[in-house]
Amino acid sequence: MNIIKRLVLFFILLLTSIIHGQTCDFRILGIVKDLHDGEPIFGAVVEIKGTDFYGQTNKEGYFELTGICEGSVQIIVSHIQCNPVERSLTIESDVELSFALEHHINELEEIILIENGITQVNTSVSESQMNADQLARMSNQSLAETLNVLPGVSALKTGNSIAKPMIHGLYGSRVAIIANGMRLQDQEWGADHAPNIDLNGFESVQVVKGAAALKYGGDASGGMIVLSPQRIRLKDSLYGNTILNGVDNGKGGGLSSRLTKSYDNGFYFSGQLATKYFGDRQAPDYFLTNTALKESSLGFTFGRSRILKGWQLKYTRFQNETGILRSAHIGNIQDLLRAVESEIPLRVEPFDYAIEAPKQQALHQSLQASYFNQISDQSLIRIDYNYQINSRKEFDVRRANRSELPAIDLTLQTHDFLGSIKWRNGFDWEFEWGLNGLLQDNFSNPETGVKRLIPDYLKYQIGSFITGNYKPSNIFNWEWGLRFDKVFMDAQKFYDTEDWIERGYNLMYSDYEQKNFGTQLLVNPKLNFLNISAQTGIAIRLSDSDKTTLSYILTQRAPNVSELFSDGLHHSLATIEYGNLTLDKETSHKVLLGFKKENTRLSFGIDSYLNSVSNFIYIEPTGVEQTTRGAFPVWSYNSTKVFMWGWDVFGEIQFAQDLEYTFNAAYTYAQDLTKNEPLILVPPFAFNQQMAYTFSKKNIEILLSHRFTGTQNRFPDTNFSVNLIESGTIIQKQLDVSTPPTGYHNLDIYFSLPLTNQTSFKSTIRLIVLNLTNTTYNDYLNRLRYYAAEIGRSVQLQLVLKY
Amino acid sequence: MHIASILILTTVFSCTKTDPELVDEQELITSVILTFTSDGEEDQQVRWTTQLNENPTITLNSNSEYEVAVSFLDESDPTDVEDITTEVKMEADEHQVFFEFSGVPIEFGQAVSDVLDTNQNPLYINSLWSTSSPGSGAVRVYLIHEPIQKNSSDRNGFGGETDVEVDFSILVKD
Repeated sequence: MNIIKRLVLFFILLLTSIIHGQTCDFRILGIVKDLHDGEPIFGAVVEIKGTDFYGQTNKEGYFELTGICEGSVQIIVSHIQCNPVERSLTIESDVELSFALEHHINELEEIILIENGITQVNTSVSESQMNADQLARMSNQSLAETLNVLPGVSALKTGNSIAKPMIHGLYGSRVAIIANGMRLQDQEWGADHAPNIDLNGFESVQVVKGAAALKYGGDASGGMIVLSPQRIRLKDSLYGNTILNGVDNGKGGGLSSRLTKSYDNGFYFSGQLATKYFGDRQAPDYFLTNTALKESSLGFTFGRSRILKGWQLKYTRFQNETGILRSAHIGNIQDLLRAVESEIPLRVEPFDYAIEAPKQQALHQSLQASYFNQISDQSLIRIDYNYQINSRKEFDVRRANRSELPAIDLTLQTHDFLGSIKWRNGFDWEFEWGLNGLLQDNFSNPETGVKRLIPDYLKYQIGSFITGNYKPSNIFNWEWGLRFDKVFMDAQKFYDTEDWIERGYNLMYSDYEQKNFGTQLLVNPKLNFLNISAQTGIAIRLSDSDKTTLSYILTQRAPNVSELFSDGLHHSLATIEYGNLTLDKETSHKVLLGFKKENTRLSFGIDSYLNSVSNFIYIEPTGVEQTTRGAFPVWSYNSTKVFMWGWDVFGEIQFAQDLEYTFNAAYTYAQDLTKNEPLILVPPFAFNQQMAYTFSKKNIEILLSHRFTGTQNRFPDTNFSVNLIESGTIIQKQLDVSTPPTGYHNLDIYFSLPLTNQTSFKSTIRLIVLNLTNTTYNDYLNRLRYYAAEIGRSVQLQLVLKY
Repeated sequence: MHIASILILTTVFSCTKTDPELVDEQELITSVILTFTSDGEEDQQVRWTTQLNENPTITLNSNSEYEVAVSFLDESDPTDVEDITTEVKMEADEHQVFFEFSGVPIEFGQAVSDVLDTNQNPLYINSLWSTSSPGSGAVRVYLIHEPIQKNSSDRNGFGGETDVEVDFSILVKD
């Protein structure tokens, strides 16, 4: 299908580029209507591609273009709420046309769509996309693992099932996840917290490599992940899909199903359900004891959508329970040394579905109300309100049956409001202004019997943004935006009175002191930050196939709760982590330069970037603390100046109609300029390539995927020495926790066999083998890499039904 | 839209939080106490706490036998000292006390009053130490949680997670 689309597009481009030198006094008259109820649409823009002829429909939906030359033209009709429709015709006389616009992707004849139907979030900032078909293949994986195949995107993992997306080497609070137009609020600050979201509820994913979409926030210096649900068809129909997965590794699988009922009058109901169930995963040589996973999600959407206005109510619920490798729960650095020195995990038990401590439980619920209305032919308002409640429990191996009592028990509630107005000034200028208000309340349950890692806090944020787009012609486009955010944090935390004094906080922050409990001190820090973020960029079409983009993004981020207040012991890393109350906001300047060449047979692109960050907040080893578990390395949050650069390249070669090759590669360089050493946990060089062959007769597809992850040679030395008693004498041993594992190759294969291919019912059966060669390897970005190898070969059978 | 923003602002500013409760830490061990008893000698109690700047010293006589009792305390709140030893004894199957000596030749074994787990393995919560020649050195006291096995002559053999690892200096007098 893709190939045909491209060929048609190419053909049209060829036609339009033929220059005719004859009469130019023809008229094009026309009307634009709503496809469903036939109501006229006002404010639709009608243009002739490649020229400066523009027109706009009036209240009755009519438009007129005059002075049109004889020959072939391509007309594009676009509207804020719709996908543009294109039609090509030959002008020999005056023409009358009628267009019918619709929200959703439609594959009617004569209508050609933008590829994949996904419009870029920012035209001047590079972006990677994944469509529904690519997502379906990965439907068994987590968000971060799925995105791992995109250039410049990697996954920061804690074991096998906990993964956080990383963009250009940055993660956590520096990466915003936008689901259904609102930001996901789920304790994103923790390196071992996976985003509480299931990709199966979404139709497309876009990764914007910078905080360019200021509407959603100005603090995500790494980038933004935009997840969009399926568009609603505005006609009487019932449709959905079901994906069924079975996997041998972990003896589990998943089921995901979506169903939408829509009506001619714009009303629709939609429901979504997904579940995953796995036992212990298996590395090539052993079981990964206690890595079972249970996950379920569901969602309901109800609304009415028409071209000019609409509303929606949406509820989603996500729940999971994840076992953490039992061997990764250790008591002190001597235990860590023992684990590092052992070839295999220290605890390997037979396969089991049970999830014991250490484990994590998360429950995330979201309720969202949205409304949009085109209030005039030039402007549109959109309002979103979203309430999210996230509860997270972490269980450690404890004494006296307390393993069933969570050691961390957090409830995070967020009210988020986003209102914006979009308007157009003539055909060249487009603006959007909006307000964003957020209230967040974190409650840390004291019943855990363990000192709070994160304190109770209230966070208020009020922000306002304005963005603009100037597009004087089809070859040039200028984007800009500005955003202000006021962030106020009101936390209540117990400090060890000794620590409070030792760090000099008693002198600096004596007015925060609230109540003295002897050895403990209740403190009420009230912190204020004013953040400014900005973006400006240009996109230039150099020729029909070549496009270049240049963009500058300024982001400011207030330190997160973990960076400010973190206080506790990390059982899997044998470290004590301390927050830092003196931290100031982090400022990043990122410049992105992109070039893209798109031809039918060959496409190629490169995105390069520079990122200079002042006050970069990071955690570093700062000493040793004497505890009853021996000497413990202490890691504290601090700030430094960081310089990063990197590039992503990607390409596609169509060797023949049935043979397609795609590749991408990424490199990131990050240096701490104060200490003059590399930054920790920076993704090593990665190269992905895929070869897909489609047997023309039955559409059977074989896709071979290869990933090479290089060895990260740039890392800081965070090693420390352990003192041991061996046969009656004390010896010192160096514990190497910093040297990254050597690079590895990973081979996956996908066989797809379409069973039925009717418009109303499509079904595909797929055999997927991940880690085909059953290679034993460790990944630098897996924080539990000291304890066990990554998952071995896994054979998966997948059934995809679309109806 | 204005109404909506006002609504949000009111909810935001009318919100107050109650003061958080102090967490009652249940698993903390802040002190390790060794009590030495030997016939004809006065009982000796040596205490390791996080507050100390150097390791406390145990003074023993050469060629003697001592019964050594280990206890673990949570003294984070001086007004409410908790004895964790009872919990350890009750969960003898999941725990192991162990000693490693350096610099001084001291042998240890189970004391008559020791606690045994369900497989009759000694917990070493009460142990018997035998000194030989005089000298000075150190002892490392371990409390191991969920050891992989219960019979080992060195710390590594037990596996499991270290709940306690503290050092005492030893002086064996002539």
